[in-house]
Amino acid sequence: MSDLIWSAIAPELVLVILSGLILVVSVWKKPPLKSMAVLVGAGLVATWAAWGLQLSRLQDIVDAGSFGALAFNDMVITDGTAVIARLILMVILTLAVALAWPMLDEIGQRSAEALVLMFLATAGFMLLAAATNLVMAFIGLEVGSISLYVLAAVARKSRLADEAAMKYFLLGSFASAVFIYGVALLYAGSGSVSIDALRSFSGRVIVSPGVLYVSMAMLVVGVLFKVTAAPFHAWAPDVYQGSAAGVVGFMAAAAKVGGFVALVRIVGITYVRFADDWRPALAAIAALSIVLGTLLALSQTDFRRMLAYSGIAHAGFILVGVAAGRSANEAILFYLAVYTVQLVTAFGIAAIVSGPTSSGSPFSAYKGLASRSPFLAAGLATTMLGMSGMPITSGFIGKLGVFRAAWEKGLEWLVVVALVASVAAFFFYLRVIVDMYMRDPDEETADVAAEPQVAGRVAIAVAVVVTVLFGLYPSPLLDLIRNVVS
Amino acid sequence: MAGPTPYMALAFILFVIGATGLLTRRNALIMFMSVELMLNAVNLTFVAAGRAIGNFTGQISVFFVLVVAAAEVVVGLAIIVAVFQKRNSASVDELSEMKG
Repeated sequence: MSDLIWSAIAPELVLVILSGLILVVSVWKKPPLKSMAVLVGAGLVATWAAWGLQLSRLQDIVDAGSFGALAFNDMVITDGTAVIARLILMVILTLAVALAWPMLDEIGQRSAEALVLMFLATAGFMLLAAATNLVMAFIGLEVGSISLYVLAAVARKSRLADEAAMKYFLLGSFASAVFIYGVALLYAGSGSVSIDALRSFSGRVIVSPGVLYVSMAMLVVGVLFKVTAAPFHAWAPDVYQGSAAGVVGFMAAAAKVGGFVALVRIVGITYVRFADDWRPALAAIAALSIVLGTLLALSQTDFRRMLAYSGIAHAGFILVGVAAGRSANEAILFYLAVYTVQLVTAFGIAAIVSGPTSSGSPFSAYKGLASRSPFLAAGLATTMLGMSGMPITSGFIGKLGVFRAAWEKGLEWLVVVALVASVAAFFFYLRVIVDMYMRDPDEETADVAAEPQVAGRVAIAVAVVVTVLFGLYPSPLLDLIRNVVS
Repeated sequence: MAGPTPYMALAFILFVIGATGLLTRRNALIMFMSVELMLNAVNLTFVAAGRAIGNFTGQISVFFVLVVAAAEVVVGLAIIVAVFQKRNSASVDELSEMKG
């Protein structure tokens, strides 16, 4: 058939083949992790090449005057949003593999599984980001989510990791069931599971038109669970505190990228006809996430728990853009790119400070970090400033973009709420910096060495450079996004 | 033949029972069964609607939901077993070591 366009799913294909190879090689040859690194490195390079191929095809499509091209019987689309989402996922996967290496070293035999789960989760969320068919989206969502449930428990020593995995699994599968019931109701009403059915729905086939609203709400709620928006956030703090330290940054970031891009697609299509009905609901969820996330983050004593609550607030900030509608798409993608890099880095540094398979990371461990490891302290300080939206960091440009888009759509009150919360949030980000630079280390942590391996050091350095560079000079990334998303 | 409405109503009731069970029961295995019930309610909706509409999309979708449900069983039971081995209980009330 003519629409089997393999480049439309090239990065996912490479990741899945790579996963199979790693599993076979690890069972067959039982290579040491050092030799595995060669295979993983080659695989990542191949995935980047596949992404480059896809970008060049997208450039052809855009040059021909179209915004995207469907493939595989309208299952997936190659458009700017999908290709940029893949770029973000590739960046966080690459950074996360580098930062997870000490953990892979420690869990020994299971390191191949952990790597494979990371690759499969990335492939799943890539498919979710590109899906134009809601059953396809469900498959992508589940391939990603189920991999993450296992990844949460990959360090089996910790009791808290089991607890985290169980909570993540039960609430995650609840969200998935809600999502797919939304798809089923949409199908009952329109006879189609394509995402476009949200627009063409007439209500004439079986059920009354009111069901369309229920169906849309269920789709949106299912995805909001995955991106930790309040009031669907209850699992996030426990999962991000308890899961294996080495991979938790990847877990948080990958689910956010896939989920938000799917949300942008779903909301973009429902807005065509129902913008006035949906904007207040999304704006309310955004405001609730921002306020709740910020307030609860203020009172935490554990760094990873604080990051989880700040992640809820950040989900709210991104939702400010989602509520604005299609005009905010570029700003949302920019925000996702810079925030998820900071998220992976912050969790990665927590893994170095508290141990690669640890659960939790109390603030006391960060006291006097500047004297124990100036490199880590500088990296974490930059990341915290980036997350807080400090000017001259990329976080500021990201926030500016989504706030401006919302302001232009008449959501002034929401922007004011978000600005007030951003100022309040400075407190808990700065607290970490004050702990690191102005306090003396506690007795029991004073002698603990906290030095990253070479790969981790490079990853942190890259993330810091990206955060500062895109804060001072954001146009390369903005131009890339604007060029393909329009 | 009756229309799809009774089937879809039954599916809705099953879905609500599943959701209620998941949110109120404390035993991980029963919560897990509730998730399965919700997914099967989805399947029933797909099949009933597919029959009334007259295309195959609904029935094909059921296969995908079944496969995903099977994958969830594998992972979910493994997690429950891991929890049970450490705590000798599958009650989620035991899982409250993290707070804040």
